[in-house]
Amino acid sequence: MTMINEKKYGLMSDVKVARKITNLTSYSVLLFFSALIIFPILWIVSTSLKNEEDLFSLPPQIIPENPTLHAFKQVWIDHPFLAYFRNSLIVVSIATFISVTFSAFAAYGLSRFKFRGHGTFMAFLLASQLFPSIMLLIPFYKIYMTFGLINTHAALIITYVSFTIPFCTWMMRGYFDGISKDLDLAAQIDGAGRFRIFRSVILPLSWPGLAATTIYSFISGWNEYIFALVLTQDEEMKTVPVGIGQLVGEYRIDWAQLMAASLYALIPLTVIFIFFNRYFISGLSAGAVKE
Amino acid sequence: MKSAFKKRESRSGYFFTLPTLLIVFSLIIYPLGYAIFISMQRTNLISEWKFVGARYYAELLTDAEFLNSLKISLTFAFFVVVGNFVVGLLLAVILNQNLKFATTFKIILMLPWLLPEVVVALIWKWLFNPTYGLINYILNTIGLIDSDVSWFDSSTSALAGVIFVATWKGYPIVMIMMLAGMKNIPAERYEAAAIDGATRLQQFRHITIPGLRPIFLVTCILETAWWFKHFTVIWLMTSGGPAGATKVVSISIYQQAFGDFNFGKAAAESVIILAILLAASYFYSRAIRNDND
Repeated sequence: MTMINEKKYGLMSDVKVARKITNLTSYSVLLFFSALIIFPILWIVSTSLKNEEDLFSLPPQIIPENPTLHAFKQVWIDHPFLAYFRNSLIVVSIATFISVTFSAFAAYGLSRFKFRGHGTFMAFLLASQLFPSIMLLIPFYKIYMTFGLINTHAALIITYVSFTIPFCTWMMRGYFDGISKDLDLAAQIDGAGRFRIFRSVILPLSWPGLAATTIYSFISGWNEYIFALVLTQDEEMKTVPVGIGQLVGEYRIDWAQLMAASLYALIPLTVIFIFFNRYFISGLSAGAVKE
Repeated sequence: MKSAFKKRESRSGYFFTLPTLLIVFSLIIYPLGYAIFISMQRTNLISEWKFVGARYYAELLTDAEFLNSLKISLTFAFFVVVGNFVVGLLLAVILNQNLKFATTFKIILMLPWLLPEVVVALIWKWLFNPTYGLINYILNTIGLIDSDVSWFDSSTSALAGVIFVATWKGYPIVMIMMLAGMKNIPAERYEAAAIDGATRLQQFRHITIPGLRPIFLVTCILETAWWFKHFTVIWLMTSGGPAGATKVVSISIYQQAFGDFNFGKAAAESVIILAILLAASYFYSRAIRNDND
């Protein structure tokens, strides 16, 4: 479009200068915010590599003078992080699998069929985001207590499914809406049943959407704090965020271990993000834009 | 013939949707109803169950401390949502220009969304540490302060601090949503406007903003709900202190329930929040719809 401007007004140099200034401003803004994001993250790394003395040296050392991996080893010994990681992985993987599977089914139903209660259900999925999760804390706590599920993986799995399934369904529905219904029709003419169409025609085309819902629900579960805090009391059953949060309540906070644990907690997120990143924005957008 | 087809179609619709419908019903609707039931009981959830009707609601609505925590929640949510929109929209507009390295910047700028709230809260707590924190050191060096500031000992700076951290954590989702919305605005509209000689700013005002309206509404509602009921960052940074200055409603509910074991009253507090959020989303959608006409 600049081309058009240039031709019409013959302001070649002015337009170019103006564009350069805009670009310069844009890059300055991007760099400023990126720095604001990167520095705290580098500070995590720097802190995790410090020994006890450098941790509390004044002025603070930006780059540790005596870098050590001590905290990365010690955190496994001083605290049951192995159990925390095991619990988090089990709970979050199962919850993610359940959420993504059920929401894909429901989303396909919502995308392809009209039935009574269709609109109400869609509205409810969005409205459910309004419910203060903290409002569910007390009834969940009571229900799990009745069934003896406090301190179990099952309690957390059920909880995380309930958190993620509405938004996942909503996102997947937007994604399916973007896939032409002619494909369904063509397969139907070839004699395929509805389930067959869903499994062999539509699902294989939906990887970006499935990837986006998987990331969303994995990250939500992996980072969840308050329900895990309330629903698990045994050290052996706690999850990673609760474990990390606990380190700060200690009398003398070992910041190096805390930051080392945080970095460990980031590993699964980073892996997932690197693998699925390019699907994520397209998948999320599809779901979010459609209503 | 047509109606038989319709019937079969609608049955298939139920077949696919029913499992999730059941999950949603038993894991969200039933517990919500149960919360309302609990809010009318004096109970420790085990042995004591005594019906008290609307007593807790009446008590709460005249309780200065509860009303104050509502006010703090509102202030917190307001500034975080506004902050998220200002930063998220600004970055989305810039990223949408397809500059060089836009993808790299996008990934960096999305990182806070990926970080667990627990980690975000603790890293900033460490950065804000009065004696050993980097922030006081930097401010000291460039001469903005001359003695160490205890950020979380004063009520104003504590609230400002948690708002800042929540915005740091929260803007990426707005950025992503706005980017998604902008991708959906047809390029021809901008081309047409450019031919007519509209400036960038005019294009933004008359094409981008109206084009973003639907996703703006959804994001606004979700953001308000998310931050109004927020717990983790505040709890880990201040535990509601100093002297209740950052005690948002979620912290009040948590302490009421799992500190004082006053489950009925805590449930009543959560029902009040729900009512506020439902009212807010109703007004939002009304406001945006009127704006459209």
